[in-house]
Amino acid sequence: MANTSQDNRQLFFRGIVYLCGFLLFWEWLRPLEEVTDTSDISIFVIYAAFCFFLSFIQLPWYFSTPLKLVGLAFILDGLYMPQRFLSKEWFGFFYEHIQYNVNVIMDFQWWEMTPLFRSLLFLLLLWLMSYLLYYWFVVAKRISFFVILTIIYLTILDTFTVYEAKVPIIRTFLVSLTIMGVSSFVKEMEKESINLRERKASYIWVIPLILVVLASSVVGYAAPKQVSQWPDPVPFIKSTATGFGSGGSGGSIQKVGYGTNDERLGGSFVQDDSLVFQALAKDDHYWRIETKEVYTGKGWVRDDQGFFQEVPSQNLVNVLPYSDEVKTEKKNALIALEDRASFSKLVYPYGIQKVLGSRAESFELNRTTGEILPQRNGETIKLDRFSLSYNQPSFSFKQLRNASTQDPKNIKEQYTQLPESLPDRVRQLAATIVEGKDNRYDKAKAIEGYFSRNGFEYDTQDIPVPDESEDYVAKFLFETKRGYCDNYSTSMVVLLRSLGIPTRWAKGFTGGTEAEQVEYNGEMYNKFDVKSSNAHSWPEVYFPGVGWVPFEPTQGFSNPTEMYIEETDDNEEEDQATNLPDQSMQDPMQKPESMQEDLFDESNGGLSSSEPWIPTKVLLGIIAGVILLAGLLFFYRFHIQMVYYKWRFYRNPNKENYEAAYLFLLKSLDVKEKITRSPQQSLREYAREVDSFYQSRDMGILTHHYERLLYRNDLQGQPWDKVKELWENLIKKTLS
Amino acid sequence: MTQQTFIYNSKLHDLFQNIQKVMIGKSEVTTLSIVALLARGHVLLEDVPGVGKTMLVKALSKSVDSEFKRIQFTPDLLPSDVTGVSIYNPKELEFEFRPGPILGNIVLADEINRTSPKTQSSLLEGMEEGSITVDGLTVPLKNPFFVMATQNPIEYEGTYPLPEAQLDRFLLKLSMGYPTEKEEMQMLNNVSRSHPIHALEAVMSQEELIDCQQQVDEVYIDQNVQRYIIDIVTKTRNHASTYLGVSPRGSIALMKAAKAYAFIHDRDYVLPDDVKYLAPFVLAHRIILTSESKFEGVTALGLIQELLEKTSIPVRREK
Repeated sequence: MANTSQDNRQLFFRGIVYLCGFLLFWEWLRPLEEVTDTSDISIFVIYAAFCFFLSFIQLPWYFSTPLKLVGLAFILDGLYMPQRFLSKEWFGFFYEHIQYNVNVIMDFQWWEMTPLFRSLLFLLLLWLMSYLLYYWFVVAKRISFFVILTIIYLTILDTFTVYEAKVPIIRTFLVSLTIMGVSSFVKEMEKESINLRERKASYIWVIPLILVVLASSVVGYAAPKQVSQWPDPVPFIKSTATGFGSGGSGGSIQKVGYGTNDERLGGSFVQDDSLVFQALAKDDHYWRIETKEVYTGKGWVRDDQGFFQEVPSQNLVNVLPYSDEVKTEKKNALIALEDRASFSKLVYPYGIQKVLGSRAESFELNRTTGEILPQRNGETIKLDRFSLSYNQPSFSFKQLRNASTQDPKNIKEQYTQLPESLPDRVRQLAATIVEGKDNRYDKAKAIEGYFSRNGFEYDTQDIPVPDESEDYVAKFLFETKRGYCDNYSTSMVVLLRSLGIPTRWAKGFTGGTEAEQVEYNGEMYNKFDVKSSNAHSWPEVYFPGVGWVPFEPTQGFSNPTEMYIEETDDNEEEDQATNLPDQSMQDPMQKPESMQEDLFDESNGGLSSSEPWIPTKVLLGIIAGVILLAGLLFFYRFHIQMVYYKWRFYRNPNKENYEAAYLFLLKSLDVKEKITRSPQQSLREYAREVDSFYQSRDMGILTHHYERLLYRNDLQGQPWDKVKELWENLIKKTLS
Repeated sequence: MTQQTFIYNSKLHDLFQNIQKVMIGKSEVTTLSIVALLARGHVLLEDVPGVGKTMLVKALSKSVDSEFKRIQFTPDLLPSDVTGVSIYNPKELEFEFRPGPILGNIVLADEINRTSPKTQSSLLEGMEEGSITVDGLTVPLKNPFFVMATQNPIEYEGTYPLPEAQLDRFLLKLSMGYPTEKEEMQMLNNVSRSHPIHALEAVMSQEELIDCQQQVDEVYIDQNVQRYIIDIVTKTRNHASTYLGVSPRGSIALMKAAKAYAFIHDRDYVLPDDVKYLAPFVLAHRIILTSESKFEGVTALGLIQELLEKTSIPVRREK
């Protein structure tokens, strides 16, 4: 009985230590919401908690590993996978993703990794951390290392990013002091082999500890502090990062949805989840309606040059012409517009070819804006049901990178327009961001990724409307740093235009929410619900010889454009392109749980936020991270193995596990203590050597018991408790 | 090989203690003699005269309460002096078998290399077969049966070296060595009034000994230890310095000895340590070195030690 209560107490303290470990780890996750474009970390926190819990209750691996895998798959499914959970297509989709990402990595296109893959890696990292922390905290009882790391992490984030670590630092200190108090107490008790007989006495000491921790924290918090001793190393970061909070005059509150008047952008949104249309499509992609060309400094207006031209419904090819070099895939889609949809313009995907099965007799097409108006009896009508045939384009990186910069004159003129009033600092910023980029694609990517790296925040509330004297883009870029799709897309267009790159502003809807799978004309289609809240805007960049390519700078959204990597340079015919599978998009301006992650390239971006984004830095960061991780794993390989063997041995002390544990001890003695057993040396002789090294008899006694297994091949009469204790003592000696 | 030997089995510990009353020091030889006794093997003691070879056998014999016979081998000894002879009994009108000294429980064959090979083999064949044949009559030897032969080192005058094939019959070949100064001093004190051998009493019955021998047979030897024995033995056969390596009989002997050694340590399984410790005593007299290597100063004992240093000990179970 005394033994059980002792065990309970052990479990209790271990629980406290591990729980505090989890709280500390949580502090690592919290800033991700602010310094990266991860919009919500709760799912990751939950997964981490799940992993930590499984580690703590020490389930055998054949239970815990599948559980964690299922959890992982479940999260990925919820976030990204349109297919039925664990169906054949699901795995196919997953496999395609992995393949694509492996290609991307091989090709050093780090920033092209899909969110799914990044999330997968991140979840695996969480899994790994749960093991590592379990080992550090519970097995090795080494707390301080991780505590110090946590504090360094927070201070760096606080200094170099927008993250305010004032409260987290205090929280971390509280947790750290508690955990260190508990663990050193337990350590001391073990060392002195003190047995607290009375149950009550064993818990009561926690109270003074907590009181001391609280008191010292309060004193520390309230005490006057010296002003910082060094000048701020990053004053200019600070200067750009201030101006946070609500600035400008709050504009009118609008209802989210598709509107035609974009002359004055800004203001808050009220969420509106009413259905606009339903689409049956194979993939999730953006639905385009029109583009606008003229930026006024406050918003977008239509170019006067646009004129409508009548085209037959069978021929809409020229809406968005792409050169023959662009790879396309023929697809069909069916659209059913709701009555409440307030627009009659056609919604269509990139690569539209023709409209079928509609009431329209012909279409009025505006080549400049891409607007398509269905006509019947000489009047514009609203089509409530129609099907589309389109050639979905996918672009190759090489193609885009190698595209010339010789834009046709009319395009250059029309799409590099900027108002006179545009502040110079916008142009300067654009030039800084693209520094070192030699082609249009990389420049566009640099600007596209700029926002997520520099503390911009996706928000639909209290977005100021610029004053008469202010520029919409400049206000967003330098002051508020908060906004929604219009802010991001307009800013990207303006930044690119300031570099002389033809860009335009496209409007429409995102792919919507996938509702179900539907069979139509003998084929399986995904049914997407597109709501008012799916209204979206994004930039299109012109690439000579290719056409207009959409980009996606808005945080929380990923580019739906299909991109692929050529596997060989000189064998384009056989190019088995790996298409980037579409991302399952979350609805825009909606659902705080929207889960587009951009974790991995942010992990170092957080440290150098004002730097223009340079892929090599990311690359170096990733390599350094991998090396560090590998180094840590290597350095702690014996600790990790020890946990493994211990777990195996303690769970089931059978012959195999006993042997494995003992052989691991031999290996550990050999490698860590350099007491090498020559193959000719018997275990007894070796044990004598080890014991004389440690000045103990442990190895001799353990070996004596082990010999029975080895040379008698039975486990009769093994004093397991004693054997385990001896083994663990010895292993710890070797590792300490 | 100066391993301190402790006897853990309580019965055998008494036996050991009893012998030690007479044998000052010499615990290793005493222990190994008990090992041979338990393994139903025989011992060849090789040493200069007067170091206590005979005393060891006598003490052992007295302690086990057994019939002790002694054959003093001389150049003129005949085989019938060893085995016994049939003599015509005029009263009964038939030949009557008069058993020779080999028909005892513990037989001391003193200075075995002083007699002719013919007489030597009469003893050695009996040791191997467990019975002797005299005039067409097969007589089983007694149980327990234990021969301890002594010989002076062959370099000495007037000796007939035992043929190598015959040497194989002995489980262990031991040597006594001189006592240390301290031991010799104690010895002098002990024998100053009367020799302690006369006061020695039996501590073990024959039945108990047989029982122990049967228990030794039950000692477990794992495949990985057997493999270790075979590794050592095979190496003696392939070594450049050996003219003749250890025979399979040698492997069996090593295993049996190891079982007995494990048994006196109160263990029911054999360790490689047992094998490693016993190998020089069991194997050294079973190999014949080439004349070149002898010339180079290689000794059988040294060779076995060298091979032990090259043979890996199993630390994994056989799968």
